[in-house]
Amino acid sequence: MASRVDRPAIAFAAFLILLALIALFGTRTLANGSAANMGPGYVPRALAWIILAFGLAIGTAGLRASHRALPHFDLRQFVMVLLSLAVFALLLPKGGLVLASLGTLACSTCALSDFKWRESLLFALVLTTLTVLLFVNGLGLPLPVWPQW
Amino acid sequence: MGLIDNLALGFSTALSLQNLFFCFIGVVIGTLVGVLPGISPLNTTAMLLPFTFGLPAASAMIMLAGIFYGAQYGGSTTAILVNVPGETSAVMTCLDGYQMARQGRAGPALAIAAVASFFAGTVATVVIALLSAPLADLAMKFTAPEYFSLLVMGLIAAVVLAHGSPFYAIAMMLMGVLIGLVGIDVNSGVPRLTFGIPDIADGMDFVPVVVGLFGIGEVIANLGTSQDHSILSGKIKNLMPTWPDLKAAFPAMLRGTCIGTILGILPGGGAALPPFAAYALEKKVSRHPERFGTGVIEGVASPESANNAGAQTSFIPLLTMGIPTNPLMALILGALMIQGIQPGPSMIKDQPTLYWGVVASMWIGNLMLVVINLPLVGVWVSLLRIPYRLLFPAIILFCCIGAYASANSVFNVWLMLGWGALGYFLIKVGVQPAPMVLGFVLGPMLEENFRRAMLLSGGDPLVFVQRPISAVLLGVAVILIATMIFPAIRRKREEALKE
Repeated sequence: MASRVDRPAIAFAAFLILLALIALFGTRTLANGSAANMGPGYVPRALAWIILAFGLAIGTAGLRASHRALPHFDLRQFVMVLLSLAVFALLLPKGGLVLASLGTLACSTCALSDFKWRESLLFALVLTTLTVLLFVNGLGLPLPVWPQW
Repeated sequence: MGLIDNLALGFSTALSLQNLFFCFIGVVIGTLVGVLPGISPLNTTAMLLPFTFGLPAASAMIMLAGIFYGAQYGGSTTAILVNVPGETSAVMTCLDGYQMARQGRAGPALAIAAVASFFAGTVATVVIALLSAPLADLAMKFTAPEYFSLLVMGLIAAVVLAHGSPFYAIAMMLMGVLIGLVGIDVNSGVPRLTFGIPDIADGMDFVPVVVGLFGIGEVIANLGTSQDHSILSGKIKNLMPTWPDLKAAFPAMLRGTCIGTILGILPGGGAALPPFAAYALEKKVSRHPERFGTGVIEGVASPESANNAGAQTSFIPLLTMGIPTNPLMALILGALMIQGIQPGPSMIKDQPTLYWGVVASMWIGNLMLVVINLPLVGVWVSLLRIPYRLLFPAIILFCCIGAYASANSVFNVWLMLGWGALGYFLIKVGVQPAPMVLGFVLGPMLEENFRRAMLLSGGDPLVFVQRPISAVLLGVAVILIATMIFPAIRRKREEALKE
């Protein structure tokens, strides 16, 4: 019987319930106030309860619905994309825009299965040059370009 | 000041060299993302938002608006030539436009799409100019309870008209409102739901949240599906439509413009819904409905005029009442607020150059679109040859720079990473993240007006139904909810959305 559930719906419901619980935990110290004079906690807490109710309702409906499997999930692609964002955040302050850009492009290219080495390398160099010219020289963003020793 | 004076003021603003330049940049970028499937105007606008902070408000708005209607336009080019809708709003154009192209009539199809869009854009500009003052006057009478009810109705309507399960959408919207409340409470000065993180004490920055949800979430999801397309080869010759073409297309254009204008103003409207409705109507009134889908020119003219009219009139509720009716308008509201301008009924009076400048720029932008699109159509189509394996890393990089630039903070890149992961999860479980953005932007306004209304009424929730305007607005919201609950009407809605 365990497989006869709408898995995507259950996953969404679980997320809503988790979110509501986090919000209820986060607002536990905030004053509630009264309806005529609401404290900072009134509206967020009310929302958290409503979201919790939605989560429970969607979850219960999902348990009774006809079976739907979770869609295919490509862990490698997912991790590589997030990693390429992390590389940017880690490299930018000390390493500068050029390194951060090349690192991000390298990581995100690795998320693909059909890239060609030469083409991608050339593209990354061109794009990084354009990025520096456009954002630092053109738009004047205060970004470090080269590594800071 | 009369209408003519207002428009004259607007044109004098929009025709300044700087604003013409940003209008041009906006429509070019818009056409670009419109042509490329897999990049929506929503995430492009979100990505480019930080770079508008340094511009004067009018230039920033003119450019962002240009991206929006430019994308509707670009979407039709690929729909006709490649049978790939660059945007959802161009889905209907594929049906007859691509058939026309296969019969060697790509030129007239593109020309009619251009003429229809331009015609609709012109009408919509006039409608905006005519309607905004009376609507703003009406909105001036609004106090906290009316605003709260208006916001509720707008949010509910956006959900009802959106694709997918309305219950999921409401849940997402509530979540958006909750996330929008993160940060220091303006009334008590107490930080809420910040979990001691100083970077979100002023609330989560808008750009990383939206770019994460849409930009990052969508590109990961797109990776799983093929984004490369084969292109109809052969030169496009003879752009001019024939006289019978024009005669057949003109009434369709008129009807499409009407539908687009009306649906665009309604909450939840925008550019996605009108073409569906317009195409359905055209089929109904036609003397030969069976020929639709085989390459009739009405099938191109009507949805094209409808989506362009809708794209423009969806600015009306935002500019006159401060209510965004779709996620993209929510983004533009965010851009205005960062500029220190609170859109609302007083904007026309306080910022006449900005307001009328943006309105006039829409007409100029539409003219530019015709000029840059028809002769250069080959260039745009060749862009489709850029493989996704190169496009994808570039999008990721621009998202990173955009998130960082929104506050010059690396924290925002991490924030985007978190929202990107969440966005991907939501897309995977079949939940549209769009309603969350509306809730996120409107959340603080919603709470503020709710608290103020309840304070004035001494905690009596009946205040929302005792005031006539508020009661009517809530009544509409209730009717909208009813349409979702009662199965007969719901089935109709699904049919309408499916068509």
